[in-house]
Amino acid sequence: MPRIAGVDIPANKRMVIALTYIYGIGKALSQKILKAVGIDENIRAKDLHEDQLSTLASYIEKNYTTEGALRRQETQNIALLRSLGCYRGYRHKVGLPVRGQRTRTNARTRKGRKKTVAGRKIERA
Amino acid sequence: MGRSVKKGPYVDAKLLEKVTKQKDTGNKEPIRTWARACTVIPDFVGHTFLIHNGKVFNKLFVTEDMVGHKLGEFSLTRIFRGHGGVKKKEIKPPGT
Repeated sequence: MPRIAGVDIPANKRMVIALTYIYGIGKALSQKILKAVGIDENIRAKDLHEDQLSTLASYIEKNYTTEGALRRQETQNIALLRSLGCYRGYRHKVGLPVRGQRTRTNARTRKGRKKTVAGRKIERA
Repeated sequence: MGRSVKKGPYVDAKLLEKVTKQKDTGNKEPIRTWARACTVIPDFVGHTFLIHNGKVFNKLFVTEDMVGHKLGEFSLTRIFRGHGGVKKKEIKPPGT
């Protein structure tokens, strides 16, 4: 089980898929990386040569932020918005959608599970 | 979708004029403005603005981190006073 970008251990899947197990690498980026390093997409991670692996690892490390570093960057960006006192920071603070989505319905990802308000029906009648 | 790069950021012409004038005179008085759509450019840093939110003017001292945002982002137009208060209505005696 090879290691790339810290603790990630992509298993015996095709390389395109294996790389997406790393935080910060999706399928599109995975394809791009493999093309740049010159490794076949369909090869399995276990069949890779040792130095192929090391070039892949060093290439990713040099060109992209992944895993912990990326997570840290994200939280920093949000913290900056919060401290700025701007609209986006405010939305982060109150846990509502940041990019102008509707909140009358949906928005459950940001708002969390539904909280039923008692007595609402009576009020309407 | 973002604004075309060719045009550059939208900066209110009159507001920019006022800022440059302040820069020349060294005057740091707050500038009253309605130009919420105006982008904060590096020239604005260190100046104070009073940004209209439809009702009142909110004071904003521009720092370096604010560059690239719009002025309106810093002057909220809505006040959320919280949900609830349903109970109060129920307590009210009928017929009032």
